[in-house]
Amino acid sequence: MSTIAGEALAVAPERVRSGQQKISFSWMVWPAVAFVVLMMVFPLVYAAWISLQDASLGTEPRFVGIENYLNLASDPEFLNAFRVTWVLYGAALALQLALGTWLGIVLNGVRVARHLVRTIAITPFMMPPVVVGMMAIVLLDPSVGIVNWLLGTVGVPPLLWLASPRWVLLSVALVDTWQWAPFVGLIVLGGLQSLPASVFEAAEVDGVIGWRRFVYVTLPLLGPTLLTAAVLRSVDLLRFFDLVFIATRGGPGNASTTMNMYAYQQGFEFSRFGHASAAMLTLSAVVLCTVMVFARLRRAVSY
Amino acid sequence: MSTMQRAKALGRSARKAGRPRGRAFALPGLVAGSLAGSLAGTLAGLPARAEGFDWKRYDGQTINLVLTNHPWSNAIRDMGQQFTDKTGIKLRIEILNEDPQRARLNTLLQAKSSDIDVFVSLKIREGAVYNKAGWYADVAPMLKDPAQTAPEFRIEDFGAGLIRNETFGGKLTGLPINVEGPLFYWRKDIFAKCNVAVPDSLEDILEAARTIKACDPSINAWAARGVRNAVPYPMAAFVFNSGGGFKSVDGTKPGLCRPESVAGLTLYTDLLKDFGPVGATNHSFPQVVELLGQGKVAMTHESSNEFSNIMKYPGREDDLGVKVLPKGRASGVSQPIGFGWGLSISEYSRRKGPSWTFLQWATSPEVQAVLVDRGVAPSRNSVFTGEGMRAWASQKPVRQQWVDAVSEISRRGTGDYASPTDRVPETREIIGRAAQEVVLGQKTPQQAACDADAALLKLQ
Repeated sequence: MSTIAGEALAVAPERVRSGQQKISFSWMVWPAVAFVVLMMVFPLVYAAWISLQDASLGTEPRFVGIENYLNLASDPEFLNAFRVTWVLYGAALALQLALGTWLGIVLNGVRVARHLVRTIAITPFMMPPVVVGMMAIVLLDPSVGIVNWLLGTVGVPPLLWLASPRWVLLSVALVDTWQWAPFVGLIVLGGLQSLPASVFEAAEVDGVIGWRRFVYVTLPLLGPTLLTAAVLRSVDLLRFFDLVFIATRGGPGNASTTMNMYAYQQGFEFSRFGHASAAMLTLSAVVLCTVMVFARLRRAVSY
Repeated sequence: MSTMQRAKALGRSARKAGRPRGRAFALPGLVAGSLAGSLAGTLAGLPARAEGFDWKRYDGQTINLVLTNHPWSNAIRDMGQQFTDKTGIKLRIEILNEDPQRARLNTLLQAKSSDIDVFVSLKIREGAVYNKAGWYADVAPMLKDPAQTAPEFRIEDFGAGLIRNETFGGKLTGLPINVEGPLFYWRKDIFAKCNVAVPDSLEDILEAARTIKACDPSINAWAARGVRNAVPYPMAAFVFNSGGGFKSVDGTKPGLCRPESVAGLTLYTDLLKDFGPVGATNHSFPQVVELLGQGKVAMTHESSNEFSNIMKYPGREDDLGVKVLPKGRASGVSQPIGFGWGLSISEYSRRKGPSWTFLQWATSPEVQAVLVDRGVAPSRNSVFTGEGMRAWASQKPVRQQWVDAVSEISRRGTGDYASPTDRVPETREIIGRAAQEVVLGQKTPQQAACDADAALLKLQ
């Protein structure tokens, strides 16, 4: 045995030196590389190129350097969209993490009809956003919505919900939370089930139970899990589009016009492709930076 | 393979490539075909038949249509099989809401894709830009070609203004499929109950709304579109009838800040704010139609197209009245909005022949007569004044009112309600935002209008 193994080891470096192994594996990587270049790098580079041009429908594109980016920085509509995106992001993420954590703990404690309960709980995020948007209209429209009708039956005057510049973002955040808090809940459930039981037993022996156990034991241990959920939701929330597009069209006024909605409008409604590309790349940079911040945080809280 | 067999085979391969059957032969086949035709004619003692129009010329081909969600599109989808039976051309129809449809056109036509053969567009809104981008095929040469155009197709039958809207620099970019514009709808029973006269002037609407609100607080005296880019359509006639406009008096600059225009803006927003439903700034035609249909609204200024949808609600055929928005009392002006959607062939289509056949069928008097039943006002004069239309209208007074009103907007209506620029979609957004700012109490009408003009000026 030892002789054969020794011979094999002696031969292996020779093969590596001759390049046989290297060649046989490297060509297999090319389809993947080609796919990435074709589907990711090329569109990104092309978008970057367009963003440096004055490109509109019906006109010859003209190179303008960073003018589109400078225009964005001085466009009150874009600055408003930037603000709206962050407000909506903050409200929705906080609500979803809080409710999702609670839901995960509740689901973890369910002993009866566990699979059925979990299936029902995850139903909202399996719905297409268009359906959720339509539901939001049917439920929350101040005049024809069911919610105000129900409130009216108990004497509460109609609320404006999606039609109020003041409340529209909270209303949208609530609808999004309804859809996506179960997703966070599912991640938290997975995290809870992977936590070591011994830590909780030790805490119980020390008399740390109930709310204190949650704050001082469960929550810190769930840190990496919650940060993973936050990263996943951040990518979606910063690109917020579908629900707003269906339910409010960015209104009333521009009270719910997110950056993504702004870019869509510039690109597809106003056909200002250069300006829209600059807005989309700015949004992409925002998403990337946010994810990087969370990735660093995750490393910091890993145990 | 004999010469005839080769000619047939060439014809088949040409059809597959989307070229017309009658002209698809390559040179050897063409010679063989001509010889065969001449021979047959000589044998029959007759001269060879000149090539004429044939509805079956493009038998077996398929064309792709990208339409908007509109009563016309839905009716055409239902009638598509009739077209296939008549011509042998199959239709692949995609119906999208207006904005996604525009996004789809942008994506495909900007890439010069031949996937779209026929599409609808609103020439008064996006026509100039689409034409500049080169998306429209010129249909005039096909119209003049007797082999391509049915002898009974008469272009002069279409409303002159509608054809004008379809023409850019002498290029005919499509055919008008309908005529539409906002109309004033009112509930006759509520007016009678509250002892209110039907408004004769624009200013009377506000008075009527006040009386109705006091008389029956359970219903909304008024409803209209409040969503930003949807506002200018129903609001434009308020501005015009108040003596204003969207251009300065010399036509070179935006004109919403003119005192008369501000008066129109004020009236529209006052009605929406003080007498409209809660949350009207998020309302477009679906909500307005729903509220009117359910009997929760006494008056509105909504599209003539929605007539058939409104009439589907129980009781509305009997208790609604409809007419053109009344003229301004102070200004004496009555300028309704009226235009048509246009059906066009993509410049990048490889099936222009079958597409043109479809355009002819879809705008034929026979099809337009059927579409009236679906609430689509015809773009052909002969259909408007035809027996079918008269018989349909005579069944209910409200139908006759609708026919009269639509006829009036097709004669006098204008589709030009933007500031002087090609960037019409952006003007809609800016004007609509001004109205929203007033309704939401963020600005006075004067401030909102003048701020809008400043923004509109930047588009020039």
